[in-house]
Parts: sequence; C-alpha cells; structure tokens
Amino acid sequence: MSSNTRRSFLKAIPLTPGGRTAALAGVGEASTPAPALDRRAFLEGSVGVAAGAVLVIGGPHVASAALGGPTSTRTDAAIVKPSGPPPSETVMAYVRDAAKSEVTVLSGQRETTYRDPQLTQRLLDAAR
Amino acid sequence: MSSHREAPEISQDPVADNADTYAFVSPDVPDTVTIITNYVPLQSPAGGPNFFSFGDDVLYSINIDNNGDALPEITYEFSFQTELSNPNTFLYNTGPISSLSDPNWNMRQFYTLTRIENPCSDNPQTCVLGTMLACPPCNIGPRSTPDYAALGAAAVHKLSSGEVVFAGQRNDPFFVDLGSIFDLGDLRPFENLQLIPTAAAPGVDATKALNIHSIAIQVPISELTVDGCKPTNVMSSKAVLGIWGAASRRKMRLRDWGQQECSDAGPWVQVSRLGNPLFNEVLVPLGEKDRWNASQPVNDQDFAAGVQHPELAQLLPVLYPKVFPNLAALTSSRADLQAILLTGLPAGIVPGFQNNTGTVLADMLRLNVAVPPAASPNPLGLIGGDAAGFPNGRRVADDVVTIELRAIAGVTYPLVDKSYTPDAAASLITQGLTPAPGRYLSTFPYVGDPYDGYDTPSS
Repeated sequence: MSSNTRRSFLKAIPLTPGGRTAALAGVGEASTPAPALDRRAFLEGSVGVAAGAVLVIGGPHVASAALGGPTSTRTDAAIVKPSGPPPSETVMAYVRDAAKSEVTVLSGQRETTYRDPQLTQRLLDAAR
Repeated sequence: MSSHREAPEISQDPVADNADTYAFVSPDVPDTVTIITNYVPLQSPAGGPNFFSFGDDVLYSINIDNNGDALPEITYEFSFQTELSNPNTFLYNTGPISSLSDPNWNMRQFYTLTRIENPCSDNPQTCVLGTMLACPPCNIGPRSTPDYAALGAAAVHKLSSGEVVFAGQRNDPFFVDLGSIFDLGDLRPFENLQLIPTAAAPGVDATKALNIHSIAIQVPISELTVDGCKPTNVMSSKAVLGIWGAASRRKMRLRDWGQQECSDAGPWVQVSRLGNPLFNEVLVPLGEKDRWNASQPVNDQDFAAGVQHPELAQLLPVLYPKVFPNLAALTSSRADLQAILLTGLPAGIVPGFQNNTGTVLADMLRLNVAVPPAASPNPLGLIGGDAAGFPNGRRVADDVVTIELRAIAGVTYPLVDKSYTPDAAASLITQGLTPAPGRYLSTFPYVGDPYDGYDTPSS
C-alpha cells in the first residue's frame, strides 16, 4: 500500500482509536464490538458491510445498501438483510446528503452510510 | 499557550482540550520514558462545588510512532468513569478526605488504561492494563484535603505490565506570560521598543497559580522502541520516538433530559491533539485551527506553510521597528523550523545529535531516547546546549516559549544557512520567568501537587 493511499485515507477519516477497542467494555458504550481501524478493510469497503445489522431501525421494508464506509464512494452496493439481534444502544441517524439519498446511521461505535432513496425521502418528509 | 484554548472549537470544550504534551527520559529511572498529557487548562483552584475532572465521555490517548511513518505503532488509551456515592448532597465531600477510599469523598473518578499495538494495522493488539484505577480528588483546602501529597502519591499506580500511571489534578507546569504575548505580540524585554511602547516591566507568569489535569505514564523504553531495544546510539533511527496526545468524542450526542437520557453514538472523532508546544497556537491560522485538531500528524503537510513562512516572524519586524532587520530580510522558507517541528533534526546539523523521523512532515514531539537525562538541565534545552531538553522531547520545566520565540525570530536559521546572521535581539528574547521551587516533583509524575482552593481562591 503506498503512502499516498494511506495518507488520503487518514485525511478522509480521522483516526478513531476507541473504535477499534473492544476492551473498553464497561465504560461508555464500548460493549459493542467495533469495526477495526483497518486500512485495507476501509479501502475495500468492508467496514460498512459488517455494520449492516443496524438496518432494523428502518423497518422490514427498507431496502438499504451498505456503501462500505462513512466516506466511501462505493457504488456496487448490495442489499443487506438484517442479522443478529436489534442493537441495544441508542441508534441515531441523519440525512447525510439528500441529493445523493444518503442516510448515516450510528449505533454503538459503528457508523454506516446507506444510499437509500426511500428511507431518505421518508426522513425528509417527516422533517417537513 | 502552549495550547490552552488555542482553537475556537476546543476552547469551548476544556475537558477535551489537550493543552500540553511532555516526553522525556525519566531522570531518576533512565531506562524509562515519561509521557504527560495535560487537559482542562486554566483551572481556578477554588472552582467548586463541582470541581474539575476528566470527561467520562472523552477518550484520551497517547500515541507513539517508532518507525518514522507518523502513524502510531503504540497507543495508550485512558477512559474515565465517575462514581457518585451520595446524590442527595451538593457537597463534593462530606468530611475530610484522608484516603482514596474515604467514604467522605462523594464524587470520585476512575479510569481504564488500554495499550494498543499497531492500531492502524489489520490486526491491532489490544491489552487492558488496568481497570478502576483511582484518580486523586481535587485539592480543595485544609479541611477537606489536609494531606494532599499523600492522596496524590496514592494515585500513582504501578502496573504489573511495567507501566506506572497517574491521572488527576496537578498544578500547571507550563509557565508563560500570556498577558504579554497576546497583547499584540508584546515581548516584555523589548516593550519599550514596541510599536505601541510601554515602560519596561518584569514578566508575569499567567499560569503560576492555576491547576490542570494530567495524564502521566512511565514506560520502559524497550516497550516503546521499534524492535524492543534500549538504544544507546544517539545516531540510530531506532532511538527516536514521535509522540503526541489526543482526545476524541463520540460522533453524536443525544440530550433528552425529559426522558432522562443523554447518549452517545458513533465512532470516536478526534477533537484535540498536541505534539510540539505552540504549534496550533502560533503557526496555524485561526480559520484552520479546528481542522488541525481533527486531523492526524501524518497529514501535516497541509499545515507546513505556517511553519515555512510563520506569520509571527513577519510580524516581529513590524511590531519592533529596527529591532529585527535581518529577520525582516529573511524571506526564504524556514527549513530550520520545518526540521525542528515537522521532521526532527537530521544528523549533521547539531554535532552528535539527531531526532529525525524521516521525510513525512508531521507535528510530533520527537524524543531521542539514547540521550541520557541531563545532570543539570538547562530550561533552554538544545539551544542552551542541553540535548536532553526541547526540542528533543520536552521536560516539564523547559522554557518552550522562549525557545520557540527565539527560533521563530531567527536564532536557529543558521543551522540550515550559515551565511545568515540572527539579529542581536533574537537571542535576547526571554520570558524572564523562573518557576517557583516546588512547582515540580523530582519523581513521577514530576508535575507538582495542585494548588488548593482555600489558599489560592483566584489567580
């Protein structure tokens, strides 16, 4: 991996040291295993896929697609079905970019951005 | 200064404000390095009833680069939790606090310490070194904390992994004439020569009666170097560590007191960092300071212009007409400052010394651990002929303000251009401040006991 690639990654996403530390359980909300701060995984977009479980917040009819990472521009997103139990932590979400139909969902130390026109539109409608 | 309230956003968030970072070979345990990062700056000792503390919702980290890539190979993380024994009183303590387990102490804080090796790799190795490590209380006064030194000493924890740690209130080791320097760059020795002159007056130590919160850790050198060695060759690249502190908050916070809920969510996002003193304070323009705090040292090429052509170096000849004529004529890129602050000094600049980490421009405190502690430390560090001091790491009593002001004024430019003659005034710059005896400790954590609020009601 070239240093230029590493640099652009680090510039895009500030290091999130706690995000890779499951050992902080018992303090704050660190009991949820966090995606590792992994250069290769980030660049390949696998971090976001691993966080697909938070789709439950959108309900069963939401067809969302993981983008791969908070700032990933991955476009070959696949539909991800919810798996595992619902998150126990508070789930927060916001419309990241309405023009691109991007919604970011945060749960525990996870952050996932979905490109989902229906969910985006429903949130925008709810905000009117 | 050094980075107390240095950027617009972090100035509103003092518990996450990394005000200073220190790193030095421990003078009394020279096979170890001590690293100190300070937060919650400019505390009035009498600031009760909710005395100062670390943030339970802040993740504090100390980062060490040992291979020159400006990325951390080792990170120590400190996360805090506050326990309230009795929520039905407004008092911090309901009687004298005689020990860290004294039931009279109502609001105490603990922390978890985690060491992460290769945090940026595919396989970071995480190890929890300690949990429920107790902080000392704040120093309140003779009735509440009658033997504060004992409380502070009890909060020094020796871990089975080899590290020694402390986290809690201290007096601020940083000494600076804040009131002068931020009054349009006044330098008290020359204030009669300033564009707006005033009568000469001695320097004023603005932080001499203020407290701060310190996170200090003492680590065997062999636990920090790239191959577990204890370097003895100053010229070896393995002897140089790049060090910086940082604080992060969760990306989102929900406040809903009606539902009795205050929650955080999302990844940790860095909101403050500090390597070299005064970097963000003086060399980064106001509009970029918040971005600098959120960025990583490996990306400091973005801020190199402020080092290569520092604004203060251009202002000094204007503020002090005819005092800095050579500096006024110096328009070249400041390769000296770039070496000192962004790459470390390479071999061949200062005989027998180097603390170079390679070509990546990164604001890190660079410590050559093969340089032994000085028997008689000079607070002017390397420019005072003492290679064990700043900018080779930073000791608690180093006069970094004088060192950096002199460097910016041109004293260090001959290191890269021997034809340049610094202005006579440049080497005369001094804060004129001498910290009072007792401000520091001779043993870990080296930063002295905090001032109590009863005897130090205000600064």
